[in-house]
Amino acid sequence: MAQISTKQKFLSLIEDVEIVARELFELMSTPKGQQRADAPEQGELIQLLIKKDKDIKETLKLASEQGKVQVVIDELKAEVDKRDMDIKILQKNLKEAENILSTALFQAKEKLTAIEQANNKKISSEELIKYAHRISASNAVAAPPTWAPGDPRRPYPTDFEMRSGCLAKMSDIPASTQTSQTQGTYTDSTSTRQSSVQMSDHMLQTQSSHHSTSSLSWQPSSDNTVGHLASGSHHPLSDMRGHNKENEEVELMSTDSSSSSSSDE
Amino acid sequence: MTSSAKKMTSQRVSGGNLTETEDQQRLRFQIELEFIQCLANPNYLNFLAQRGYFKDPCFINYLKYLQYWKDPKYAKYLKYPQSLHFLDLMQYEHFRKELVNAQCAKFIDDQQLLHWQHYQRKRVQLLNAQAEQSEKAKESKPS
Repeated sequence: MAQISTKQKFLSLIEDVEIVARELFELMSTPKGQQRADAPEQGELIQLLIKKDKDIKETLKLASEQGKVQVVIDELKAEVDKRDMDIKILQKNLKEAENILSTALFQAKEKLTAIEQANNKKISSEELIKYAHRISASNAVAAPPTWAPGDPRRPYPTDFEMRSGCLAKMSDIPASTQTSQTQGTYTDSTSTRQSSVQMSDHMLQTQSSHHSTSSLSWQPSSDNTVGHLASGSHHPLSDMRGHNKENEEVELMSTDSSSSSSSDE
Repeated sequence: MTSSAKKMTSQRVSGGNLTETEDQQRLRFQIELEFIQCLANPNYLNFLAQRGYFKDPCFINYLKYLQYWKDPKYAKYLKYPQSLHFLDLMQYEHFRKELVNAQCAKFIDDQQLLHWQHYQRKRVQLLNAQAEQSEKAKESKPS
């Protein structure tokens, strides 16, 4: 049930006192003959006034008690607020700790996987150094310090080297496609390697006249070799034919490359 | 060269005789080692592209098969380790198609050469910088 607040009770009492006092004054100021019909008696009014005064005093006491209680309430509220702040700070710290722990955990997991990976693929450092020496000493991955445009050395096997390898030997290159005209090459060691002759890059211009004759002379030998192949499909035939032209056009392309790559961009 | 390699594999697989003698294995190892390193030569790749070798599914499968050279116990025999990178690129059809152009091959060749010279250039720059520094130090000393 909604109770009337003390303040309103007070105000209404004061108004009542005001009204009663006014009635009293009115009663006393007018002579007996001029009073209204329903005018209250003097005695009644004074009794009413005394009663109202008592009510006011009671309400005052109530109000002072309420004030004390209010002070206690305020104190308790302040305590509650302080505790709330403490909880908030603790919550923030907890969150920070959680973040730090999760990142630490993540990094630790990554480290563990890296360790496992490293342990699975162990290579001795000596082996690595040997390999590094091997690929660097032959200038396969780093250019020699004296390299200038026009130097035929390359970071990949040149067609000269390709033809002197066992891959080319396996393909039964007949001597007819190879001429005995070798010019001085930069790598003298390879010229002494085999009896079958190698083409140097500069030879190409003179070769162009030989192309037609050499391809013709190649045809019969390729037909013979077809019979030797285990698989009877026509692929090997085309491969052999392709291989004939390979030698010629490898020479062609090597000049292109040497002329174009001499421009050091 | 490619024909001989294919001959080897076709003999090995379709000839009905699946076992190899040790000599044959040794030879195949050598051949495949040479072939995979030849792939580092962009001019050779262009040559193969223009001959239509890249259209042959046998050849493409062979390239896929050659990826075993990436294993360390095989890779340590490679003199030109960049050929493994080219082998990877060769697995993509787009790259194989592009290689038919001579300009593509020339571009790759130029880039390879520049990269090859990179270490030397860096070293020369470093030495020059050091020489300059020592010269400056010498100049400041007498004063």
